[in-house]
Amino acid sequence: MAAAVESGITTESPTLIEVDRQAQFAFSPGGVKYWLWVLFCAGLTALGGAYWLHQIYYTFNITGYGQPTMWAVYITNFVFWVGIAHSGTLISAILYLFRVRWRTGIFRLAETMTVFAVATAGLFPLIHLGRVWNFYWLVPYPNERSLQPDFRSPLVWDLFAISTYLTISVMFLFTGMIPDIANAREKATGFRRILYSILSFGWQGTDRQWRNFSMVYLLLAAFATPLVLSVHSVVSWDFAMTQLPGWHSTIFAPYFVAGAIFSGCALVLTLAIPMRRLMKLENLITIWHLDCLSKIVLLTSVVMTYSYATESFMVWYTGDPIELATFHERYFGPQGYWFWLMIFCNCVVPLLLFIPTVRTTTIWLFIVSIFVNIGMWLERFVIISGSLSTNQDPSQWKFYMPFATEIAITIGSFGWFLMNFSLFAKFLPIVSTTELKDGIKYLRQAVREVYPYRRAA
Amino acid sequence: MSEAISLISTFATDEDCARGIEALHAAHIHNFRAFYPYPSEPLLEAANEARGLGRSPVRWWVLTGGLTGFLSAIALTIGTSLEWNLNTGGRPVASIPPYVVIMFELMILFGGISGVIGFFFHSRMPVFDPEPGYRSRFNADKFGLVVQCAENEVSRCESILRGAGAEDIQREAAPAAAAHGH
Repeated sequence: MAAAVESGITTESPTLIEVDRQAQFAFSPGGVKYWLWVLFCAGLTALGGAYWLHQIYYTFNITGYGQPTMWAVYITNFVFWVGIAHSGTLISAILYLFRVRWRTGIFRLAETMTVFAVATAGLFPLIHLGRVWNFYWLVPYPNERSLQPDFRSPLVWDLFAISTYLTISVMFLFTGMIPDIANAREKATGFRRILYSILSFGWQGTDRQWRNFSMVYLLLAAFATPLVLSVHSVVSWDFAMTQLPGWHSTIFAPYFVAGAIFSGCALVLTLAIPMRRLMKLENLITIWHLDCLSKIVLLTSVVMTYSYATESFMVWYTGDPIELATFHERYFGPQGYWFWLMIFCNCVVPLLLFIPTVRTTTIWLFIVSIFVNIGMWLERFVIISGSLSTNQDPSQWKFYMPFATEIAITIGSFGWFLMNFSLFAKFLPIVSTTELKDGIKYLRQAVREVYPYRRAA
Repeated sequence: MSEAISLISTFATDEDCARGIEALHAAHIHNFRAFYPYPSEPLLEAANEARGLGRSPVRWWVLTGGLTGFLSAIALTIGTSLEWNLNTGGRPVASIPPYVVIMFELMILFGGISGVIGFFFHSRMPVFDPEPGYRSRFNADKFGLVVQCAENEVSRCESILRGAGAEDIQREAAPAAAAHGH
């Protein structure tokens, strides 16, 4: 059994109580190592925060920003984190609607990632503003100049889309968590018991409660599914609605949505692999879950490769000299290495996932997921910064390189995300015991059927 | 007049508990309350059938909220565009295609918020006192059926519950409010 647990394969059938016990172990009080990790993440956040204050005081003169590249790392980070947020709802809502059983082990983790990724993404338009205290100018209210935001602007759509997405994601996460918090409440003591009693709203799992819960959860999933598609489409239109070569393309919406799912699923793997080991969740987040998730990464990688090829083909086929020049600079210009590194990370490395052993070996999966994360960040950077650097007027061309300010704030955003995620994982249920119990027989069956060679080993 | 009794029965599986609900329904006993650790389909169907209930009314909250959001977005975008006219290059002041994005987002936002409020309302949450017969294990690994019946009905109810597979049945004096039904 020890070997089976090590490999993440459930060779024996866990009972309902064992599911509870393992899940609750995960959010038992953390030890010294845990709090050192949180402190480290808080330190990175503080570093980013300090540089942000520095930037507010000294303005954008201390960044690499300048004509023609006025959207660069901050908007790259915004699009990257919004993209990350998408797979949470994909795994949770879309797979719930299709009754896909492997979602049970990882959907809570993915939803949590979604909420904190949107919260991180939401910081970047503020950081990018410079004069952050004017952020409310986007909000539609009749201000003192009798001006309204222009509802025809994709930036205003973005405000509505991101706010709606954050609100719906938080409600979807929290509503789904109520039965699990109630379950945790029964065994908790002290501060945690008070916290869980408040957050569970007195849930007792009566037939009336479950009847209404099932309906609201289904409808939230049904709402969240088109919302996922709309939000990243809206983000892509921030670019595609302009006339800029490299941005003005109808492929952007599906291309961005596929990229978002690709990067988000990869980050779920990056988080789930160490977490299942550190929190001893190998029997709940199994190799089966990781294998299924990695197949989505593989699929979306192929879609991304096709999108890159289509984008390039359209540029060549239209023969527009300005577009051709922009893409020539993207591939072979002074910063062409970013593009080829992106292709390597997003199109070549994920092909390893065609090999079953890679999909079922956590260290390989982890390495592939890190490459995809890097590749998808670079993709946003190449599209945003690269296209702006080579606009319609070659006399303005200037290639952008980030300064310490942008780098520190980017590192700070990862610290902020990881700190929030780590705190959540130790105080609230990061795996859904309710759904694991409901689907436990499918889990056992799937493990038996899909991984006979593993069991024999 | 005989005293009201609560029979707190425990089941090991959802199928047994669903069988218990169906057996109570067949015996025309509807003064019961069920507790589950997870919402399996057989249980939801059996409880709805026994109580003669259709789908949850929460869906109407979602519909109402969604329509409200959609109409609010129409008012917000078209109304404000007409009130604060922003003429950009002769384009239509109230241009519907770009406003559809705002309408869609607000429809989702209002529908979702309204649905969650409806869920809390119809589930009578927050609950400050435990339901009569509630046991913490009903939130963990056991399924519970709590039946309120008159003293002279106890043995009949127990026999129905045992026949459905109850592994344990406890008796308690039913609280006055609970004895009036669920």
